[in-house]
Amino acid sequence: MDPFHPYFGIEWYWLLGAWAALSIGAHMWQVGYIVRLIRLGGPDDRFNAWPVRMREFLRDWLGQRKVIEDRLAGGAHALIFWGFLLLVSDVLDLGTGGMLAVFLEDIYLKDFWNIVVDIGYLLAGTGITIALYRRVVLRPAKLRGASIEGELILLAIMGIILTAFLLEGAAMIDSEGALAERDGWEPVGALFASFMINMDPAMLQTWVDASFWLHMLLIGGFLVEIPQTKHSHLLGTIPNVLFQDHAPLGKQKPLQMAPNGLAVSTDDLDIENLSLGTSNYSDFSWRQISDGWACTACARCQDVCPAFASGKGLNPMQIIFDVKDYGWEHGRQLLAGETPEESLIDRFSEEAIWACTTCFACVDACPVHIEHVPKLTDARRHLVMEAAQFPNELQAVFENLERNSNPWGFGAHTRGDWAEGLELKVGEPAEYLFYVGCAGSFDNRNKQVSRTLARLMQQADVDFSILGETEMCNGDLARRSGNEFLFQTLAEMNVTTLQEAGVQKIVTACPHCFHTLGKEYGDYGGDFEVVHHTQLLAELREQGKLKVSDRDTTLTYHDPCYMGRIDDSHDAPRKALGGEILEMHRCRDKTFCCGAGGARMWVEEDADKRVNLIRAQEALDTGADEVGTGCPFCMTMLTDGMKTLGSETQVRDVSEIMAEQLEA
Amino acid sequence: MDIAVLIKIVPDSESRLEVRGGKLDESDFKYMVNPYDEFAVEQAVQFKEVAGGKVTLVALFSETSSIDTDLRKMLAIGADEVIVLRQSDYRGDRPAGNATVLAEALKPLQPDLVLCGVQGIDYYQCATGPMVAHQLGIPHIASVTQLELANDKLKAWRQVEGGLQVIETSMPALITCQKDLNKVRFPALKDIMFSKKKPFENRAVPAATGPDLTCAQASLPPARGGGEIIDGKTPAEKVTTLLSKLRTEAKVL
Repeated sequence: MDPFHPYFGIEWYWLLGAWAALSIGAHMWQVGYIVRLIRLGGPDDRFNAWPVRMREFLRDWLGQRKVIEDRLAGGAHALIFWGFLLLVSDVLDLGTGGMLAVFLEDIYLKDFWNIVVDIGYLLAGTGITIALYRRVVLRPAKLRGASIEGELILLAIMGIILTAFLLEGAAMIDSEGALAERDGWEPVGALFASFMINMDPAMLQTWVDASFWLHMLLIGGFLVEIPQTKHSHLLGTIPNVLFQDHAPLGKQKPLQMAPNGLAVSTDDLDIENLSLGTSNYSDFSWRQISDGWACTACARCQDVCPAFASGKGLNPMQIIFDVKDYGWEHGRQLLAGETPEESLIDRFSEEAIWACTTCFACVDACPVHIEHVPKLTDARRHLVMEAAQFPNELQAVFENLERNSNPWGFGAHTRGDWAEGLELKVGEPAEYLFYVGCAGSFDNRNKQVSRTLARLMQQADVDFSILGETEMCNGDLARRSGNEFLFQTLAEMNVTTLQEAGVQKIVTACPHCFHTLGKEYGDYGGDFEVVHHTQLLAELREQGKLKVSDRDTTLTYHDPCYMGRIDDSHDAPRKALGGEILEMHRCRDKTFCCGAGGARMWVEEDADKRVNLIRAQEALDTGADEVGTGCPFCMTMLTDGMKTLGSETQVRDVSEIMAEQLEA
Repeated sequence: MDIAVLIKIVPDSESRLEVRGGKLDESDFKYMVNPYDEFAVEQAVQFKEVAGGKVTLVALFSETSSIDTDLRKMLAIGADEVIVLRQSDYRGDRPAGNATVLAEALKPLQPDLVLCGVQGIDYYQCATGPMVAHQLGIPHIASVTQLELANDKLKAWRQVEGGLQVIETSMPALITCQKDLNKVRFPALKDIMFSKKKPFENRAVPAATGPDLTCAQASLPPARGGGEIIDGKTPAEKVTTLLSKLRTEAKVL
């Protein structure tokens, strides 16, 4: 029994053809519209390294690598996704009245195809059931308040699957209502057929016809709906996964690149014709805009965002929605080459733009390689360099960086004072340059860390020197807060200083110095081998150059974002510390920001919206006697957090904990 | 309305400060625009935005040191041109002599208004501004915290002990600016870049003449003794230690 007969005197294929033309037409028109919007974006050349990109595509798209990190939701998604890949050809078969099956029979593939399609429907059906159970019964907190779109979509897909099984089953029943043939290659269809035997043939025919049209209406409906909802990720994830960022995580782009692959120097920048940062839609790159249509609204970015968790006006997922919604709302104007009165970054809101700590947890969590943070840091560039509109506190910080090359404004000539009495080499050639950074040079608590680290290195006979007065801020805070010109000025001066001192290897106790010097200075001609002190200390301990005994206290370790997640280096501090670590729920590459990154260290935070309190509480929850860390800013934030929470738990640097256990 | 702003170039407050043999060692000084003069520039730019005209910055400084970056920043926030008077024996602690040189430079400009900071953060003499006004023969209002332009008159608010005084004056006049006058804007990068195209004149002026003061002796304030942080496991224990120290060591109880 099949639905392939005339309806109201019109052949079924004319009716289906008309619906197909309508729905496919609407789909294509909308997709074309979106493609035109994406093409309004600026250039971002990612059309390279094709073999690598193909491998990544198979791993991340087909293999659902990051999707299934969330076992339940991601697992259900993978089942639906793989199921649909297996079953999608069935649409062609049903749409042509079984012509595909006939063709496959000729080449002896029909049975194989049938079982594949059946497995596909079964996988998808299982996935849908799990997903519905999660949405309706479990209802995780983050889904509260979400639109009912998700449930409706799931039910619609379930409808497609059930009608397909019904049609499959009915095809095994003859016009008398008896079983014509039981096809073992379509087990689920056969199961459905067994329920249909001896049904009233006329009634069954009605069911079959209704199923077929419902099936086709739903599929056509999906085609119309896909570009408009979060379902756009069906298409949007393809460019997103294929053109994922190949630069190291967290590395920002210079203002202007020269043909030699280096950044154009500040003296030669064509400022008058350069758009600084992003404000309008077309200031963003095509890849930034395509993110909008790749978003699946899975909210994993929202779950891990410290700004969101502390109640600030930033939700990384909303930023991505903004990109998409803004495109839809202002599309006609944008495509006509006009500039809407509301810019895209107006839509983001300044509050959201300044709330980001650039911890990259959102980017790391996203299963489809959406790049949230660069949108915000690019917007900051516009706000600082074009509009001169930024949090008040930063003005003094910028002036201090310009004048004394440190955010606090201490006299630049006092930078080396922390080392008094240690008899360190200053500016002399050595194997390592100890790049101390601003916090390690000027902040009282962190000066102790610098001194401890220097003593440990002396003890282990590491040949190192410091720059002393000629060291400057690495510029991280200027760069993360949008003052790219100031960052570049500092970077250029530092590169010159380091090169003149003949520096090749750098050790630093600051993850931000580590990141900019090691991964970002290359664009300005500075190629140095940079290690974080936890890496060097782990090596020294392993080599037996530092003999450290076991601790008799318990310890938890807070991974700084720019080491644990952004550099994926979380073994070194644990090796350096040795012994057992009582891990926090969020640790290693899933660490949670202390709240200081992205220049947030220097911007006031509302008392009830402090990121550091969340993290300090997580550390306390481990019950450990003390907290270890490897970043001067995490040190400040967590120490403050402990005080505010009324805890006397000490926060100490890895070097300090090691120094205490040092065997004479 | 053409406005002239007097700029003093002062040592950066974070410069290395050393006294050798009763004399200040200025060799390691870094210089910056006197912060009170920045308020004056901001005020001048705000007036220009309303009333039009030109803002000219006039600075008197030594022959050699470079101060271009900081003065360009003042151009970037909206001033139109800079004249730096270069004097071979310039000193910041010589208000009378400096006022004479500045007044001479101002005369050909014929400004409708002269603005400057209430004092320089190097020697805090609060003298140069009033002396310039005197030499130009124009009215002077000191230490202004709010300034309004009403047609061709100026209305100035100034804090006095326990009260507020509002003074009106015709123009031209000279106003010295106190710190609550305004918030100095941060220049956008493009403004900094464009400021490089604005006129920047270095003009040699003769060495100081006539009677003047000399600095006989400079010294640093006596170093303070370090405090003591009291150790103790509990607040009660710390208080006990503190009390006993106040009795036995400080002998104040």
